[in-house]
Amino acid sequence: MNILDRIIVEPLEQFCEKIIRFMPNVLTSVVMLIIGIIAGSVLKGAFLRIFKAVNLDKYCERFGMVDMLAKSGIEEPVSVILSRIIKLVTIFIFIVIALQSLNFPSVTMIMDRFFLYLPNVFVAALLLFAGYILSSFGGRAVLIAAVNSGIRSARLISRLVRIFILLLSLSMALEQLDIGKGTIVLAFSILLGGAVLSLSIAFGLGGRDIARKYLEKKFMKDDENDDIQHL
Amino acid sequence: MKKIDKNDGITGRKELRDSLRSMKRADILVGIPSYNNARTIGHVVKAVQAGLAKYFPHMRAVLVNSDGGSTDGTPDVVQKASIEDFQSILVRHRAIPVFKIATPYSGIPGKGSAFRTIFEIAGMLKVKACAVVDSDLRSITPEWIELLIKPLIDDSYDYVAPLYHRHKYDGTITNSIVYPLTRALYGKRIRQPIGGDFGFSGKLAEFYLSKDVWETDVARFGIDIWMTTTAVANDFRVCQAFLGAKIHDPKDPGADLSAMLYEVTGAAFDLMEAYEDVWNKVSGSEDIPSYGFQYAVGLEPVSVNLERMVDKFRLGVEELGSIWKEVLSPDIIDFLYDVKKVSVDNFHIPSEAWAEIVYSFAIGVHRKIMNKEHLLKSLTPLYMGRTASFVIETAGSDSAEVEAKIDELCQVFEHKKNMLIADWVQQGGFHEHS
Repeated sequence: MNILDRIIVEPLEQFCEKIIRFMPNVLTSVVMLIIGIIAGSVLKGAFLRIFKAVNLDKYCERFGMVDMLAKSGIEEPVSVILSRIIKLVTIFIFIVIALQSLNFPSVTMIMDRFFLYLPNVFVAALLLFAGYILSSFGGRAVLIAAVNSGIRSARLISRLVRIFILLLSLSMALEQLDIGKGTIVLAFSILLGGAVLSLSIAFGLGGRDIARKYLEKKFMKDDENDDIQHL
Repeated sequence: MKKIDKNDGITGRKELRDSLRSMKRADILVGIPSYNNARTIGHVVKAVQAGLAKYFPHMRAVLVNSDGGSTDGTPDVVQKASIEDFQSILVRHRAIPVFKIATPYSGIPGKGSAFRTIFEIAGMLKVKACAVVDSDLRSITPEWIELLIKPLIDDSYDYVAPLYHRHKYDGTITNSIVYPLTRALYGKRIRQPIGGDFGFSGKLAEFYLSKDVWETDVARFGIDIWMTTTAVANDFRVCQAFLGAKIHDPKDPGADLSAMLYEVTGAAFDLMEAYEDVWNKVSGSEDIPSYGFQYAVGLEPVSVNLERMVDKFRLGVEELGSIWKEVLSPDIIDFLYDVKKVSVDNFHIPSEAWAEIVYSFAIGVHRKIMNKEHLLKSLTPLYMGRTASFVIETAGSDSAEVEAKIDELCQVFEHKKNMLIADWVQQGGFHEHS
């Protein structure tokens, strides 16, 4: 009997005791998870209404974000996508809280590290967003200025400006995320320096006359101005 | 209404204040805004002096040069310029000498700030009538001063707009956009709303000064259209005076057309926001009284590079179509693509399409569809196309026929105004609808 107690009953009692001690944590986690799902759905609905009220989809269309998303195969309106992201983020936050309430030391440690890294992700996302807006704005400004100056390769120049700004913001975002910190700066410097150097050599040393003629032919139509006083 | 800061304008400058106090008051003020115009301003000052001596000999007159910090000695030229021998131009000596003030203006650099200083001095001296003339004029005569001032003094007008004879290809922004738009919006046929040489009453100068616009774009550019529109929209009595030919120093050839277009159309469209409750009630247009004896003027020929203009239009259609799609109707877009394909000889943008384009851009600015500067600068190739079309259309026309064509365009703008009003209302414009 004693042996049976020691081998089976005692460990079983201990296990039950642990289970009973752990149950409130599990219950708390489950409750948190349910709250998270409900809160996520409520927030999704609320933000969707706000986005519709402020005509977010229209503004995104003007900034060219709808086109960009369509090119990536996303057909849904930006307001729906954003409200869905808000729902998922809310649920995710509640999952994290639920996991922490289980009181597993390893999970707590991972969560702490994750939360410390989160601001970097936020800043990187902001940098990418700002880069996108700036590239659209700069690209359009260059396109209009180049067309008004009669430059034939206006679209090419505008695209190059857009790509340059996007690359710049991407490298800044990656640096913020601590991904290949040195490598990216180095690669970017080499790329930019290389491009400038090759252009200098090509147009400066390799044949000034050819470069001049090429530029004249490529970019300028003719120099014959008219005398019209527009005002 | 913004209260004027004591240190903001001329009242902050003791020397000028003292000299104005010593003058106490004046009847007439002629203002000349300038920036590096030493080459031409001497002639303008002399013409103004002669005009004041000949036509207003018994009135207290002051000539104000409001300078933007010229480095070529413009203020010195103003101070030194005087008519040595009045007899030679058949002018009797003035009973009261002309008082001359050459002062730098303060505030944002631009013609508007220069005018603000002129308005302030006019207010301090309680003048009855003012005139402003450009400092780069070569064709100004003493009669201009009479024509710009007399209607204010004798017939109690508040605003005198200029009327010039210009080459048929000169002033194309005025002819194709500003005149038709202003006429259709406010119902007054002011032929040169941005002429640059105006007469206005002391009362109107005070009204201008009371407006809180001196820290906005009006201070930099757009003052001409702002003055005209403000006068018309606020029911001041308006007339125009025929001044003859307008010949001025050639403008900087490097001056950017798209920047010019942005400044002028931007100012006109901004005024549409400010006076939407005025222009939406106006339909049709009426003539305004004209002063001066009209005569034919020999004008310098203007060379036009048609091929280049059409090329710029084509390049615009090719590259800026995606931007225009935001503001123009699909029909107009299709039409532009069709016009792009035709040869220069058959190139034609009709008045109807042009009026719709201008109104659509106005709506685009009203809707804040994109950055205003981008949108308005993208109008440049379309304007080039319309100008080329106008040049082709009027190649063999004399000035009367050209005027008839411009009048026809204005009528189209007037007819299509309903479309503008409908779109404006749709976009939440007009106070009673919002």
